[in-house]
Amino acid sequence: MEEVISVKALSKNYGPKKAVNNLSFSVKKGEIFGIIGPNGAGKTTTIEIMEGLRKKSSGEVSVLGMDPEQDRKKLNGKIGVQFQATSIQKKMKVKEALSLFSAIYNQKSSGDHMLKLLGLEDKMDTYFDDLSGGQKQRLTLALATLHQPEIVFLDEPSMGLDPHARREMWNIIRALRDEGTTIVVTTHYMEEAEKLCDRVAMIYNGELRALDEPARLVEDVSAHYVSFRSPDFPLDELRALPGIVKVEQDMEADAYKIYTENLQETSFHLFKNAQEGSYHIADFKFERGTLDDLFVHYLEGGQTA
Amino acid sequence: MTALWQLTKLETKMFFRDKLQVFWTFLFPVLMIWLFGSMFKNESMGGFNFASLYVPSWIGVNIVTTAFFTLGTVLSGYRETGVLRRYQSTPLAPWKILFAHTIQGTVIFAFSAVVLVVFGMLVFDLHMPEYLGSTVLALLVSIISFFPFALFLTSLAKNVGTAAAISSLFLNLMLFLSGATFPLEMMPEVLQYVAKVLPLYYVIELLRATWNTSPIWENMTSVYVLLGISIVSVVLSSKFFRWSGKDE
Repeated sequence: MEEVISVKALSKNYGPKKAVNNLSFSVKKGEIFGIIGPNGAGKTTTIEIMEGLRKKSSGEVSVLGMDPEQDRKKLNGKIGVQFQATSIQKKMKVKEALSLFSAIYNQKSSGDHMLKLLGLEDKMDTYFDDLSGGQKQRLTLALATLHQPEIVFLDEPSMGLDPHARREMWNIIRALRDEGTTIVVTTHYMEEAEKLCDRVAMIYNGELRALDEPARLVEDVSAHYVSFRSPDFPLDELRALPGIVKVEQDMEADAYKIYTENLQETSFHLFKNAQEGSYHIADFKFERGTLDDLFVHYLEGGQTA
Repeated sequence: MTALWQLTKLETKMFFRDKLQVFWTFLFPVLMIWLFGSMFKNESMGGFNFASLYVPSWIGVNIVTTAFFTLGTVLSGYRETGVLRRYQSTPLAPWKILFAHTIQGTVIFAFSAVVLVVFGMLVFDLHMPEYLGSTVLALLVSIISFFPFALFLTSLAKNVGTAAAISSLFLNLMLFLSGATFPLEMMPEVLQYVAKVLPLYYVIELLRATWNTSPIWENMTSVYVLLGISIVSVVLSSKFFRWSGKDE
């Protein structure tokens, strides 16, 4: 598929501090590309370099075939940007913000289509400051997309949203993607990365740690395990089960997590021993690793998988 | 509608939504003139009536208020909250943003000046300026001087709180030391020299003169000082004005 963004060996220094270090990735047309990592990992710096708002220290960045630093003015008409901080005047009404940005982008209609999509029809006369967190985010998203940009950059779009508002936000972003827009999104919510993004780049300390589809990344995690509760299963017997890698015990809840090379074989022996020894097993589950686990794995280990 | 016109219109509307700004720009000067008027209106001040000295002075003070608060402090707030940065990622040209705010400031100032003149005429027998054309020119020169001056000083502030503090400091300093409120002749000699360092002194000299005694071309020293301040401020602003509070 066609590449719309290409980042090669990108670095950004603030004095002696390396905010971004030798980062390379590319974004394909029509995908939702996630840049994920903990706070301070360099996500915002990276996205703002692509938007042309920050200058890189070294490396190559190309967005829609343009250099964001040199061609920012030309690029600005083709990209849409939603900022992390609320960046609209407090006393500006929703309809005023829409008509201002329509005028800036030289659009005839003030994005009625988007507005319905965003469900803000009855908030037209409300000041920006009086909108809820979810409504603010939806408005700034509408402002970022009313000129039908080819690429939309979203910096932490679901920060501070409740689970319902977050899901609504995801649906809007997916709808944009389905219309053919390419979306670059930063987040530190791993759930968001897993459920929303087609591909993710995981960065930590400004360095790329992983780059793939979320499901494939999770596949690679050695964090497949079974969990269950038992009041009486002897710990030493658990540790002796075939294929066992690690046993984690939560004493208070009588809960166990057992990591194994072979989920099926270990489970079979777990139940066999339980049957023979008359131990009780409850809440048995096959657990699949999540990006959260992967995340913690990188944070703790600091090495690539 | 063009973006420039839209932005100017919206910023003007938003000014009137801020009750505090409206109070300090429109009501406060009226209250002050009324207060000083009730003390001095029957005293002859070097042959001039009270209002013909105080109303031009407060019109001058309002240029400072508009420049520092309506423009400078508000733009510092926009810098801090990311409003200016938001514009940076749109095709809107940066000069249009500053131009829109300049027009907005000028309109609000003009409106406040009319309010003061009408109030002066109704309550304190103010006469129209002797040299109306000169007075209008003097106001333009003052705006050209003070708007960039205030934009430069407030752009040194990291956040809106500091910008407001800088603005208050300058406003109060000039309010009391430039002859706007207390006649300079009443002050110790040292302070009279201090006054001449403050830009508002020249605005007030110019406005009082064109209102009462002489046309603008007989007061070119003040004009040159104000234009000098303007040029220096524009140069410094273009060097130091930032769109974002963050590093690039």
